[in-house]
Amino acid sequence: MKLKFMMAAAAFSAIAGSALAEDFPAGPITWVVNWPAGGGQDTTSRLVAERLSDVLGVPVVVENYAGAGGLTGMRELAGADPDGYTIGMLGASSIIQQYTTDEPVKMDELEVLSFFGPDPGALTVGAGTPYQTLDDYVTAVKEAPGDVPNGNDPPGGASYISASFMEALLGLELNKVPYPGYAPTVTALLGGEVESATVPIPQVLEHAKAGDVRILGVMAAGRHFLAPDVPTFAEQGYDVVAGDFRAVVGPAGIPADRAKVLSDALVEVLSSDAFVTAANAAGYMIEPLGPEEAAARIAAFDEQVYPVLEGAGLVTNPK
Amino acid sequence: MTSDLLATILSDLVSPTLLGLALLGTVLGLVFGALPGVSSTMALAVMLPFTYGMETAPAMVMMLAVFFSSVYAGSVSAILLNIPGTPGAMITLLDGHAMARKGRAAEAMSYALIASIFGGVVGWILLVLLAPTIAHYALQFGSPEYAAVVLFGLALVAYASSGDTLRGLAAGAMGLLVGVVGRDQVTDVPRFTFGTADLQGGIDIIPLAIGLFGIAEVLSLLCRSKDAADPVPESAGRTWPRLRDLVGEFPTALRGSVIGTFVGAIPAAGSAVAVALAYAFEKRLSRTPDDFGTGIPRGVVAPEAANNACVGGALIPMMTLGIPGDSITAVLIGVLLLHGLRPGPGLFENQPDLILTIYGGLFLAILLTAIVAGAIGIPVYRRILAIPQRLLMSAVLILCILGAYSVRNAVIDIWVAIFFGAVGFAFIRLNIPVLPLAFGAVLGPLLEENLRRTLLIHKDVGVFFERPVSLLLVSVSLAILVLPTVIGLLAKLRRPD
Repeated sequence: MKLKFMMAAAAFSAIAGSALAEDFPAGPITWVVNWPAGGGQDTTSRLVAERLSDVLGVPVVVENYAGAGGLTGMRELAGADPDGYTIGMLGASSIIQQYTTDEPVKMDELEVLSFFGPDPGALTVGAGTPYQTLDDYVTAVKEAPGDVPNGNDPPGGASYISASFMEALLGLELNKVPYPGYAPTVTALLGGEVESATVPIPQVLEHAKAGDVRILGVMAAGRHFLAPDVPTFAEQGYDVVAGDFRAVVGPAGIPADRAKVLSDALVEVLSSDAFVTAANAAGYMIEPLGPEEAAARIAAFDEQVYPVLEGAGLVTNPK
Repeated sequence: MTSDLLATILSDLVSPTLLGLALLGTVLGLVFGALPGVSSTMALAVMLPFTYGMETAPAMVMMLAVFFSSVYAGSVSAILLNIPGTPGAMITLLDGHAMARKGRAAEAMSYALIASIFGGVVGWILLVLLAPTIAHYALQFGSPEYAAVVLFGLALVAYASSGDTLRGLAAGAMGLLVGVVGRDQVTDVPRFTFGTADLQGGIDIIPLAIGLFGIAEVLSLLCRSKDAADPVPESAGRTWPRLRDLVGEFPTALRGSVIGTFVGAIPAAGSAVAVALAYAFEKRLSRTPDDFGTGIPRGVVAPEAANNACVGGALIPMMTLGIPGDSITAVLIGVLLLHGLRPGPGLFENQPDLILTIYGGLFLAILLTAIVAGAIGIPVYRRILAIPQRLLMSAVLILCILGAYSVRNAVIDIWVAIFFGAVGFAFIRLNIPVLPLAFGAVLGPLLEENLRRTLLIHKDVGVFFERPVSLLLVSVSLAILVLPTVIGLLAKLRRPD
């Protein structure tokens, strides 16, 4: 009887053991979000996590590690066991922080699993300002360097970098006024405290529809699906492409077979019609790409952003 | 509109799903909010994954129920344990806990409940009737006005905290210094991080408050237990206040509610500012200001009406502009986004059903909080005092540590809570008020950020005296700080004996 029990136990543990090795994932996956609940990084993560859970057949639990401009969460992610059970969302600011903060999380500490999509910057002005077109705005800023107040993130944040790109590429000098996040920036734009803001389209779209602000241009290669009437910067003769993007990453060193399971599942979720509809309705552009293409996109952003950071005097950790 | 709203509320009440979810949300909010260390934001974040599979309306109704009831329940641990359950309850403990020490704990909780419901209803009415108007005024609040209102709040806290003014100011200054730790909001440069990456995120207010109030209280009870005197007697007196006494508190509740709604509607100002304003205002108006802090119902009614009125107020910028009023409404906007709805100024035209759902849901939340807390909540809460102190305090300590960790899932926050536990204990022993330190830490970063932004935009301090709202607030703040000294000096000069 006892022997039978032991044999059964041994057989069971053998099955369980092989299941762990071959059938990944066998337990819940933790999804790290480096911003608080309710923000863009959180909402996009939850949109994916909910459906990723269905594809992988295990719970995907979103955990918020907010603080230090997103660095706390990236540290948590980079420091986790690379067993595939901890993944998370990466934003453009994490690329920038490699060069602008002490003890940053470097990209080689992370493994890219898939691309989520771009979130291009845009230039929006208050309805009460005299700027009707991008030309008006550029001319006015050139006439009074450092005077036009632009609402953006603190230095290193995505909308600050969008403003810096615009300054560097068009030879402008703005009065960059930092706000803690997109919502306070938009509030300041609506209240007339700043004349312009460089936040992404979804943040200002409803206000533009209501006639409270004017979107003068999108800093992307093509127009934004939510605002097809708004021309790109390039269409108006200004070569500026800037903004945020999102990608799904894990700690470096995830075994190749497990990384492939995760990447394939992510691309499957991101490509599904139901997901794209939900994400578009929430205002997010989706561009599902596998690990190699995603890594290439991130590297391209890195190449492009570094000289701008250097020009703005923000680099404290040179490459 | 009115008839549609009535119809929505009625259909909410007869729909078993909606009523059930609202009831569940209310009960969870009453539990989470009453636990020391679990804030309303955390309660909502915990519930967020459960809304994935729901329709938008039930999800919002449940979340609003958690929101409203947890804001009330924050007063429970403030009254019973001298530990604010949520930052909005930091002022309630002054008179609430003093009442509990007099054996009037249950009555204090009833006052808090009645004031909360009253504040909730006033906030709700203002939300329904005046949302676009209030939002318009809230938008006029720029960085100079923010800086001025925060200065005003600090001046009022200095004025309202009892005891030695100099000690109060010293504690407040320490709070301001604590608020400087972490990444600077304007230049993104880390300050006072002592070379560790852990402090770059700054000192979060919740672990700080948990330490300062919770852990310090447990430590001082440990010291007192040798005297074998039970510090908080079991509530022997009445549970429900006399009607006559309640009528007397009506003007206070009304003033507190209006202050709460308007402050709640200013994005990012938050309930901590509202309760400080409401309390100090009542103290200023009172003929017997020295009674505040000794355990009078008015000291409970004012902040509790204000913090629950804040719920309606905080929804105003969300509904009219699509902008979160605080970290709690940010989670609510997250729920809407997850359901494919982008709140914004077009919400009233494009999503009238959603507006009705939210108005109806908040009304339902207020109603259920009144019923559940009144019928079950207070009788259960009052039995907490029957638990032997050593068991109760062990549980409180565990909750404090757990609560500190779960704010940001960061171990450093446990150490922050323990550190400020020691600081709070030392303050109690040295007879230094802890409240100014907590408010300094909350308001300091807001003041600094807005002051520096004002100077970045306007490049001149004079702007504070050119804009009417900031001129008024700065003048009144200076008067509050300087006048008592001047009057004291004049009195001394007149009677040089």
